[in-house]
This record gives sequence, C-alpha cells and structure tokens, in this order.
Amino acid sequence: MEMIIGGAFQGKSVYAEQHYPGVHWTSGGKISKEELFCAEGVLGFHQYIRREMRAGCEVRDLAGELIKKNPGIILVSDEVGYGVVPVDAFERAYREAVGRVCTELAGYSTRVVRVVCGIGTVIKHA
Amino acid sequence: MLALITGGSGSGKSAFAENRVLSLGENRRIYIATMFPFDEESHKRIERHRKMRFGKGFETMECYTGLKNMKLPKGCVVLLECMSNLTANEMFQENGAGEDTVDEILQGIRHLQEKARHVVIVTNEIFSEAVPYEGETGLYQKYLGELNQRIGDMAQEVVEVVYGIPIYHKKAEIRKGGDG
Repeated sequence: MEMIIGGAFQGKSVYAEQHYPGVHWTSGGKISKEELFCAEGVLGFHQYIRREMRAGCEVRDLAGELIKKNPGIILVSDEVGYGVVPVDAFERAYREAVGRVCTELAGYSTRVVRVVCGIGTVIKHA
Repeated sequence: MLALITGGSGSGKSAFAENRVLSLGENRRIYIATMFPFDEESHKRIERHRKMRFGKGFETMECYTGLKNMKLPKGCVVLLECMSNLTANEMFQENGAGEDTVDEILQGIRHLQEKARHVVIVTNEIFSEAVPYEGETGLYQKYLGELNQRIGDMAQEVVEVVYGIPIYHKKAEIRKGGDG
C-alpha cells in the first residue's frame, strides 16, 4: 500500500498520475465499497470516508478491512485536520475520522508522500 | 529536556507523545490532563485517551487552569496534553487568566521544567484555514500560535506527527534517562 497526502489543491492527483503511470485511477467521490476493495488507485479517498459517514456507516473498521482486502492499493487523500475544531458535530467527527483512518493506513503503507505546492516529499519509506 | 509534539486532528500525535515519554527511562510518569469534561463527547474523548495510556505506567493529574501552581514529584517525566485545551481553559474559564493566557501558561511550563526531568507537551495545528476567524476564535488561534512558537523556541525537540509519521523540525540527541 502507498499513500499520497496533503492539503487540497496541492497537485496530489497530478503527482500521482505522473509517478504511477499505468495505474487505473478511480474517484473516492463515486466508488462503492466493492469497487474500493478491488481498485488499483483511488483519488480523493477522503471523499469516500465522507460519503460513508453521511450514509450513516461506521468507518472504524474501514482501514483494517482495506488492508485485508486490498493491501496493494494506492490512495490519494486530503489532509483535513489542520484547522479550528468545527462547530458542527458531523464535520468534527468527519475531520477526526479521516485522521484516524489515514493514520492506520499510513502505519501499514510502505511509502507515504506528502505533496505541498506540487512537490512531493517522501515522509515514509519502509 | 523539553519536547513539543504537534499535528492535526486524529494524526496520532498522542500515541507518539506517550511513546516518547516511555523512551525517556523509568522515572515516575505524570500525565497532566487538561480537557474539562463538559459534555458526552469530551467524556468519550477522555475515555479513549485513558485506554490508550493504560498499562504505560502514567499517573493522571488534572489541571484545567493555573499550571504554575501544580504540585509535582521531583524528577518525574511529565506529559502535558494538550496546549489547545489549556489555552481555551485559561481564556474562557471563570478563574482563567483571560488576556494574560500566554504569560500564565509559559510560567506554568517553566514551573514544570523546574520540577520534572523531562517535559513532553502535546499541541495542535489549527492554523491552516481559508476563512480568517474573528473575535474569540481568532484570538484563541493567536494565543495558541504564540504559545507554540515560544515553546518551540524553548524546546530541544519539536516534532510534527503526520498520520503517525514523525517529522522532526528540531531535534537534539538526548541520552536515555539523562539530564538536560
């Protein structure tokens, strides 16, 4: 498993497409759980988490399940936890869930790249 | 030794900070809890942190305001979690320091440094926003940002934890259990 993370509009998707040629990318804003579990690469993985939570689904086991069912996936996700704690309870829970899920996935990943201003820095290479 | 551990929400900074304390040797470990339990969500949050700390040999002491008056055993290792709660408490609680929040907390940290062998402080990155906050929230960001800078200056080690991965912004080699 590999991850590309960073703030919004930093060039993560462009970085992903350039550095992983030949990977078939799908969008976290659209795919089903089944599609996630067989996807090669997912852009906007945070959107998948948001959709699951909006639908009332628990995401506590999402990372564990993904590690088990699709350990070779490449995930691109926004970092959303660098602002003031949201007043809205759903937004607060979502913000924390993205952190928890991605922390677990990053722990399993062999490579994590953080993209700022289009520049990727490898912060984990196991 | 003073270490400052920062990161975003759900980034794994608490787990990292706890392990950093464990790596500092077999002294008494004091966990200074700062979250005032005012609703169900905060109770759950506190419970989650308690479970995480369980078995790691921490004694928990609560401090919502007035850190400088805390009684601590000499030579202990302190984990203070976290600066964002303590800042909010000093700013908004009735017996808090109000506009003197930054100075009050810095005095508290110097007090910890005098008593403890090592101090590890957890703080929070809440500063990357599109819309600027005004009023109380804007002031809260200003105070916490100031504190982070001042503590970062005092600290020998400043670590940003990104999804469990440490990024060292400042690092000094510390001997295990050593002074300094």
